Amino acid sequence: MHTTPPIRARAVTKTYGTQTVLQPTDFAVAAGEVRALVGSNGAGKSTLMKILAGAIAPTAGQVEIGGEATPLGKPTEMLRRGVACIYQHSNLVPEMSVLDNLYLGRVPTRRLGLVDRRRLRDDARALLARHRIELDLDLPVAALSTVKQKEVEILKALALDARVLLMDEPTGWLSVGDVARLHATIRHLRKQGVAIVYTSHMLDEVFALCDTVTVMRDGRVVANAPINTMDRPRLVQLMVGDALARDGRGGAERPEATARTGPPRLRCTALSRRGLFHDIDLEVHAGEIVCVTGLVGAKRTELMRSIFGADRFDAGTLELDGCSVVFRSPREAIAHGIGFVAEDRHREGLLLNLSVAENLVLATLDRCSRGGLLIASRVRSTAQRWIAALNVQPPAPSRLVRLLSGGNQQKVLLGKWLELQPRVLILDEPTVGVDVAAKAEIYDTLRAQRAQGAAILVVSSDLEEVMAIADRIVVMAEGRIVRSCDARQTSIAQLVRDFGAVPA
Amino acid sequence: MSAMAMHGARPPVWRRRVAASALPLAAVVAVALFGWIQPAFLGAENLVGILRQVAIVGIMASAMTFVIMTGGIDLSIGPVLALSGLVAVLSLDAGFGLFFALALALSVGLVIGLFNGGLIALGGLPPIIVTLAMLSIVRGSALLLGGPDLHAVRGQPAFSFLGTGSIAGLPFSVWLFGAVAAALVFVQRSTVLGLRVTAIGDNERVAWLSGHRTRLTTLSLYGLSGVCAALAGVIQASQVHTGSATYGEFGTELDVIAAVVLGGTQLSGGRGSVARTVLGVLFLGALNNAMNILNVPIDLQLIAKGAIIALALGLGQLRS
Repeated sequence: MHTTPPIRARAVTKTYGTQTVLQPTDFAVAAGEVRALVGSNGAGKSTLMKILAGAIAPTAGQVEIGGEATPLGKPTEMLRRGVACIYQHSNLVPEMSVLDNLYLGRVPTRRLGLVDRRRLRDDARALLARHRIELDLDLPVAALSTVKQKEVEILKALALDARVLLMDEPTGWLSVGDVARLHATIRHLRKQGVAIVYTSHMLDEVFALCDTVTVMRDGRVVANAPINTMDRPRLVQLMVGDALARDGRGGAERPEATARTGPPRLRCTALSRRGLFHDIDLEVHAGEIVCVTGLVGAKRTELMRSIFGADRFDAGTLELDGCSVVFRSPREAIAHGIGFVAEDRHREGLLLNLSVAENLVLATLDRCSRGGLLIASRVRSTAQRWIAALNVQPPAPSRLVRLLSGGNQQKVLLGKWLELQPRVLILDEPTVGVDVAAKAEIYDTLRAQRAQGAAILVVSSDLEEVMAIADRIVVMAEGRIVRSCDARQTSIAQLVRDFGAVPA
Repeated sequence: MSAMAMHGARPPVWRRRVAASALPLAAVVAVALFGWIQPAFLGAENLVGILRQVAIVGIMASAMTFVIMTGGIDLSIGPVLALSGLVAVLSLDAGFGLFFALALALSVGLVIGLFNGGLIALGGLPPIIVTLAMLSIVRGSALLLGGPDLHAVRGQPAFSFLGTGSIAGLPFSVWLFGAVAAALVFVQRSTVLGLRVTAIGDNERVAWLSGHRTRLTTLSLYGLSGVCAALAGVIQASQVHTGSATYGEFGTELDVIAAVVLGGTQLSGGRGSVARTVLGVLFLGALNNAMNILNVPIDLQLIAKGAIIALALGLGQLRS
């Protein structure tokens, strides 16, 4: 039987400038279907979701709701036609009551524009009863637990008679029990005939909850299948790429062998932080690149932040060249020669409204100053040195960093930490949002640093990147190390299998 | 060029140019206009008079620029001005030496400022609440110390010189303002501290992750604001030969903040410039003076002042 799906995208495409983030894509969900949308970062999931929600307009293509073409890029039009989106971060007003949040912006009114509070309350009660959700309508949203807040958001969508519910990483902030509760609510909605699109990095959830799965990679849909025809390794393989998984080396050049002698530059022993990562044993030698890989949510970033002193750890020890150390702040880590290239360069890496030169010297101001006075000539020469060495374009020290392209911003961020001549350099997803040319330059720079004896620790979800630069590879899953091996003795296929491993 | 095109969020060049030069332009136009209407306005005597009038606000505004750049604010400066002036006067009256009296007065400002900074930077409390509370506490303390009376200073020529003396034709208070402003312009442009303040204003988290003690820096800025308010209080007490718990009345801090904001520093923090704040101080001073000379009634003066501040800020908004 063929019925018109409540929402269908036809050949939607999105390009920014010369970059195509979404290739022409067809996508549809049936009434009463929970469809998982999975893929690694940058696969195009969020772009597709945003197009469906009307948050952005596609460059080409059409979205049909109930078989009718809709105006694109207009969230209110989508809402009016029964398509609601629930984002990872709450869209509620914390100070307002549940009731007021439910009808925010579309309060039923009587004559003279007075709010019909009684009708509001009756409507809300009916809605709660119909969907078997229990909520105190008068409590401020801020007083609710996170899962309850999610329910308010779902209810808010249902108050509009939403026939299509888009959920973007809805369980990102929930505990295990709360996830189960949310899933029960979603199953109930499915019974009511709501079409649901569910994105998640947690493959367990996908298998537990969803009926069908759409896998995206590099801006296109690579698979559409009922979930019961899939297994975990096959799904991960689709996410990271068939070619990659078959060709064990990922086609990338192999790193040359390095000798590992003497004590490690950095050693973590049984490092743990409650609720995040556990029993992490990790060694990085001088002249070695160790890549920590895994799926998003494996708590790799959290581990790095704790090593760098930006967060604490609860148990375990950290040794630098054989001496036990604990960094209580990034300042202490930096004083010991540890650099940290953060993943989010806009929020944690760069001062966007300051110049290239000011950013390049920020972590090493004592080298460009005496007695608290900046030595302008040294700031300038430091900046020019890194601009030349890293090929920052345009080569202007006084240019504001926010005016540079992503790749050049990343080079400035890298230069800031290289100026430290770090003993240990930690990089978190160093090439996300970086063009191919800049990527190659960044790899060359890292290899040069390794040759000079730096110990380099890279967090990366990009397996091609991992195979291209790693000497050793550590795979994390759910806060634990599930495998640690020499890069020459593994393959992408093997890593892909490890990704899905459940730690003992 | 391609970078410009990709980051199209930037406003057009003409708007940024207008925004950047709005204040200097407005100042020049206003001064020319006042001089044309009333030539006495441009007389040397009157210009010196303007400088004397703005010295007190100017000293506080220079320090406030740094505080506002970090996204903070210091509302307690009015009462700190009163308390410090009072402490100086009472110490002198009690027979202590000038040096001790000044040191004590400035220390009072420093301690209050550091206390503000401690609660804000270490305690994580909102600056507007902390300094509003401090405004009340310090005013109360000043009244406790000095009562509602004026306390006169007699026979202290050295102390009187601070507010009323002149060197090379310029009041000593103007020299002090010049020195404070020049020092802070220098700090901003040429020191690690200056870059650190700018960095905190742009993104405190990045500054911290780059190894800077951002909380300590923020704390010290409130200390600086307190000291400068105390210095302003000493000058004020010297100018009128009295100390009183009621000086630095409500509105003083608003004049200071207005000058900083006129100078282009956003109240939400970020980039700022002490030099431009000084320009804002001078502009407001010239405006007040001209309206006095032109016999504009005080009610209309207040309205005109508000309108001009709003207009200048509107022009400044073109930048973003």
